[in-house]
Amino acid sequence: MQKEEGEMGGGGGEAQMEMVGKAFVKHYYGLFDAGSRPALAGLYHPSTSILSFEGRRFDGADSIGRHLSKLPFELCRHMVATVDCQGSPFAAGGILVFVTGSLQLVGEEHVQPQL
Amino acid sequence: MALPNQQQVNYPNFKLVIVGDGGTGKTTFVKRHLTGEFEKKYEPTIGVEVHPLDFHTNCGKIRFYCWDTAGQEKFGGLRDGYYIHGQCAIIMFDVTARLTYKNVPTWHRDLCRVCENIPIVLCGNKVDVKNRQVKAKMVTFHRKKNLQYYEISAKSNYNFEKPFLYLARKLAGDQNLHFVESPALAPPEVHIDLAQQQLHEKELIDAAAQPLPDDDDESFD
Repeated sequence: MQKEEGEMGGGGGEAQMEMVGKAFVKHYYGLFDAGSRPALAGLYHPSTSILSFEGRRFDGADSIGRHLSKLPFELCRHMVATVDCQGSPFAAGGILVFVTGSLQLVGEEHVQPQL
Repeated sequence: MALPNQQQVNYPNFKLVIVGDGGTGKTTFVKRHLTGEFEKKYEPTIGVEVHPLDFHTNCGKIRFYCWDTAGQEKFGGLRDGYYIHGQCAIIMFDVTARLTYKNVPTWHRDLCRVCENIPIVLCGNKVDVKNRQVKAKMVTFHRKKNLQYYEISAKSNYNFEKPFLYLARKLAGDQNLHFVESPALAPPEVHIDLAQQQLHEKELIDAAAQPLPDDDDESFD
């Protein structure tokens, strides 16, 4: 559902990239699931970040944060199935993290297939 | 349309898609029908639960395979795979939450984009709640789009059968079709003030005699 691009300062190697990527995913969905979605805005660039969400596009941290905050539910649970990390070809030291999994909303009996 | 892992029947059956904002009571509504609840099946790749709801009519049995989401509508729209092959539909809103009525045109548009010309019922749920935000006379969307409208209260079973009877009549092309026995329903969890609700129903009839408000189709501001 979401593709995140994190940044890390210099150096790296596969293992470190993997570690940073996974830590970022844990942090991101930790905030998301704990009902702290407004805090997610701080993880996006004020102007250049783009969020693609269910066919809609949001530009910049404010707009992204607003959208995530006003989703019509409080708590949910992301179940991450795979996390793949690659060095970003676009930003020095950047990491592209691809996440798949499913999610479940409080009050819903079933998990949803997409993440 | 049944799911692949679901029993097929040899009497008339139809795929019914239920749409509307999260929290309007779609799941609560379909779960009232006890045999449907017992025989429901979940399809994880689409994220849909299908409840087979049987009704007994003077022309024999009819089954609605009611498609209900796992809450995807809270993230955005629903995928085409949810609507595709839909033969009839219920659009639900919550009379205690104005925004859910404002979003009805979006649900209607999404639905009609995939399912052209299917019978549709608009349902205003939770009419048992004292503090309504969407009054009966404010509901005009169905008149613009030629839908049927019913006030319902899933938790009290009020008007539970009405949407299904309307759809069954449309699908059968027989306005005289009627149900000959009631399906087993979960016992009411709340009681509705019938005298008060009769006033709402009268308000609806009076409103139907008034000219439509001259506003934009897609806006209720």
